[in-house]
Amino acid sequence: MTALARTGRVLRWAAVTAGGLAFAAVLAYAAVSAVKPAGEVLAVPLSWLPSSVEWHNIVLPFTETPFARYFGNSVFVGVTVTLLNVVTCTLAGYSFSKFSYPGRNVAFVVVLATLMVPLEVIYVPLYALIYDLGWVNSFAGLIVPAGTSAFGIFLMRQSIDTIPDELLEAARIDGAGVLRSLARIVVPLVRGPMAALALFIFMMNWDSHLWPLLVAGDDDHRTLPVGLAAMQANNLGASGVPMMMAAAVLAMLPTVLLFLSLQRRFVEGVAMSAGLR
Amino acid sequence: MSRRDLVGATLSFPALALFALFAIYPGLRVFYLSLFDYSLTSPATFVGLENFRFLATDPRFHEALLNSLFYTVGTYLPALVLALMLAMALHRRMAGGGWIRLLYFLPVATSWVAISVVWRLVLHPHGLLNQTLGLDVTWLTSSAAAPWALVIMSVWKETGFFLILFLAGLSRLPREVFEAAQVDGAGAWRRFWHITFPLLKPVTAICSVMAIIRGLQAFSPQVVLTDGGFGTEVVNLFVYKTAFENARMGRASAVAVFMFFVLICVTLAQLRLFRREDA
Repeated sequence: MTALARTGRVLRWAAVTAGGLAFAAVLAYAAVSAVKPAGEVLAVPLSWLPSSVEWHNIVLPFTETPFARYFGNSVFVGVTVTLLNVVTCTLAGYSFSKFSYPGRNVAFVVVLATLMVPLEVIYVPLYALIYDLGWVNSFAGLIVPAGTSAFGIFLMRQSIDTIPDELLEAARIDGAGVLRSLARIVVPLVRGPMAALALFIFMMNWDSHLWPLLVAGDDDHRTLPVGLAAMQANNLGASGVPMMMAAAVLAMLPTVLLFLSLQRRFVEGVAMSAGLR
Repeated sequence: MSRRDLVGATLSFPALALFALFAIYPGLRVFYLSLFDYSLTSPATFVGLENFRFLATDPRFHEALLNSLFYTVGTYLPALVLALMLAMALHRRMAGGGWIRLLYFLPVATSWVAISVVWRLVLHPHGLLNQTLGLDVTWLTSSAAAPWALVIMSVWKETGFFLILFLAGLSRLPREVFEAAQVDGAGAWRRFWHITFPLLKPVTAICSVMAIIRGLQAFSPQVVLTDGGFGTEVVNLFVYKTAFENARMGRASAVAVFMFFVLICVTLAQLRLFRREDA
């Protein structure tokens, strides 16, 4: 390798590292600010190391606001929506992939077409429907409409398509029914895509703000994004900053930890959402 | 149709029932509602195209459209360029490459509201941004700066997302292509412009369509950081306020119908880009 090429490599490495650290600095700043004494968070000049570490700031969201409730609601809604999606999408993917019946392709195309239309376009009539069903300020309004996804159905159908028909034929000759084949053959072979789907849906749901704000804005059903936004509005003074930073960092923890432990699946999920895998 | 196929058909029912009720029915109804003056509590009155006529002349709606456009272009053009540059640098093996990627991916794993809460502090006059760069900008309380504040934050949040997509795209390109170009003695720029970039075109097309859609969907940062003030009321926030604060659901539906056609155009443009790629 020439000296020039080597210098280029070192420069490139230095640039991407510096950039990465600048990106991460924002999160580090939030974490440090969460344990600073209230008077120090907006001090000039900026201090990265607090004069004393105020660990008790971390419990402020729990003692001063219904943060625990918001957090619990988010976990409950996120887990339920994820399970529902994995079940409905796997069943539909199996149905669309391995059985033939009239209307199958039409149904699949209609499902795919809805991929093009984001929630934003339909949320007014969707809200009116939830209102008519009496589901405003209920978990049902948060969970049921999010119970399946076009992306998930598409993903599961593609994955199940790769399973050879002969395998299912053999199981059938051995007397396995439709559901037994699903449980014994299909599911074990598409565990990877199912996991990526689950992770992706959970993350999307954890981030969801607009719909929960509409259908479950009351204190008992607020999820984290809605709750955090409300807490933010009530704590604009400097004394509220460490508490808000603690709350924000805690709100990020579940998905960031999931990401750190399941990085490959996460990256797969994002790439699959763009149809790249 | 065999009995087995009949059983198989029923397995799609849970998903299809949810779709019919919560996606297709509201999707059709939004067209219908756009022709009415309507709030949840009072009976709907048919007004024909009055809602569309109103929007065509409403300066607030036009401003929201322009703000959405500014936010989308301002955020996603730099984010895509940055992501592509980073992907080119990061897709090759390097010391600590995995860790460096992780730093860029982290913002993707956070939620918009939580991150917006954090950025309120970053953008404070005494916050991280001003103090690091030696600036004295009131980012969130001036019409000159607030739109840019949202753009800066969103570039930070979204670059990693597109970096993942570009890295996935690069990993699918055959290695021989890069090697052949290197052997032919083409310089790094020539290799990029004449080989890598054209081959990445499908990925770039997907990324740009996703970028436009994500840009037009923006809601949380505008709510948390500025509540739509100082030139940051985007279309989504306009719909929200029109439907739920002013109870003009017909008007909000008309905006949705308009956005529906915008998004259809974006998607069709994507399909065209792909077709050209195949030809």
